[in-house]
Amino acid sequence: MSSNAFALGGKSALVVGANNVVGCAVATALAEAGADVVVATSTPSAQEEAAVQLCISQVHALGRKGFAHTLDATNEREVGELVQRTVAELGRLDILVNAQDRAFAKPTAETTLHEWRRVLDVNLTIPYLTCRAAAGAMQAQGAGRIINIVSLLGERGMANGAAYCAAQGGVLNLTRAVALEWARSGITVNAIGAGWTEGMGFMANEALQQQLLRYIPSRRLAQPEDIAATAVYLASDMTGFVTGQVIWVDGGMRTRL
Amino acid sequence: MRILDTLKLEGKVIIVTGAGRGLGRAMALALADAGADIVAAARTQAQIDETATLVYEQGRRCHAIATDVTSSASVNAMVETVIREFGRIDVLVNNAGGASSGWQKPVEAITDEQWRGGMDLNINSAFYCCRAVIPHMLSQGGGKIINVTSGVGVRPMKYNYMYATAKAGMINFTRALAFNYADRNIQANLILPGIFPHEDPAMMQFWQGGKYIPVGRVGKDEELGPACVFLASEASNYMNGEMIALEGGGLAGGEVPTGFAPIFPLQGADR
Repeated sequence: MSSNAFALGGKSALVVGANNVVGCAVATALAEAGADVVVATSTPSAQEEAAVQLCISQVHALGRKGFAHTLDATNEREVGELVQRTVAELGRLDILVNAQDRAFAKPTAETTLHEWRRVLDVNLTIPYLTCRAAAGAMQAQGAGRIINIVSLLGERGMANGAAYCAAQGGVLNLTRAVALEWARSGITVNAIGAGWTEGMGFMANEALQQQLLRYIPSRRLAQPEDIAATAVYLASDMTGFVTGQVIWVDGGMRTRL
Repeated sequence: MRILDTLKLEGKVIIVTGAGRGLGRAMALALADAGADIVAAARTQAQIDETATLVYEQGRRCHAIATDVTSSASVNAMVETVIREFGRIDVLVNNAGGASSGWQKPVEAITDEQWRGGMDLNINSAFYCCRAVIPHMLSQGGGKIINVTSGVGVRPMKYNYMYATAKAGMINFTRALAFNYADRNIQANLILPGIFPHEDPAMMQFWQGGKYIPVGRVGKDEELGPACVFLASEASNYMNGEMIALEGGGLAGGEVPTGFAPIFPLQGADR
């Protein structure tokens, strides 16, 4: 092991959902570690587009190459084009991070089928499409790292969270299944189980945030950088024997729920 | 390069039990490579002296302290020596352990001595070390504990009762430590190593090179060190009570999808 064992120089990464604070922190950390990074939206809104533009400027400020890309990542064709553009402009694709996150809470009886499908589309169908598209490029290289960021609710239920919990749990088991499927291709597929992270989804609710702080053993919310550091470890060459795993970064939350 | 800086361990003092060989030595060397000073604690002085020499070659200090981790008096004496020599303890790696006590036996053939001996080595040792080290971590304002468990601690293996019990105990001991000390900045996490034969030809042959493991190979010692460095570093400060499993994918789907693990023969019974 050399001192810069975790360095990612010469690698090319794609972060989908880089519009949110966690996705952008991951993109920035990967760039800090030396990777070139593409930052993509999950859905084509003006707000998400502005966020990924801001994120790519941070990547460029670190001296790394990459571009921002606006797409509807629930669309199979657009995801294929994104992966093609990444490989065409950066020469390869070594690391895929799925950071999209659509928070949703509503009593199940009041949730419409349209809402249910939308939550599953953004949270679960996007990683399915991006994993599938990226694995093609990675298989040709004989190596790759896929990192899906999931919520604590992927493993625990929450009242009024049926759609979100189902989608997040789906991402966890998608991770395990494709990890096995691609195990002999040099592609590892892992998840980061993110605790309650400042600036994300449900955390906009100040009352909930205060309530949670009493329950989180570490007595603080996760910072996006906590998640990003784990992504750098998983993206490194040092994790070829780690696959199909969830690394939980939750301030000890899972020890008590 | 800020993220890579958080993975450095300069100035940290790290105790590694069972550091005389195998996984313990691999982790000690990786931690030293990341900048830490090492305390190599194990029973056999000659082996930890060898680890110490390798650490010195990396330009770091290493104190090899012969320790019987199954004795709380021996553990307490070791920790006192560390505080006297280094003045602090930043990370404790509870790696000492072994599966041999009472294995390959049905439960009714395991003696009290075998069961207790195994518990002493695998789980009581971690308790003794944590009990001795945590007060120093608390007075320093925090610290990290890295406990080594096993795949057998999650999925039992045939005729391996003691190890399965002790290593499962290690997992919940770690979670209990995390829960209780999180608010005082102590993080306790686990490393779960899968099959690491350390290039021992007999072990390589027994495990068939790892052909039934989803990734199609066994683990390499140099893959363990970085996981330990990550958990010892500030990069993992929000990880607490959790685990990094390095096992090639078996736990994601059981061992069946890509073949069958060899089963140890049963000794001392006819079934």
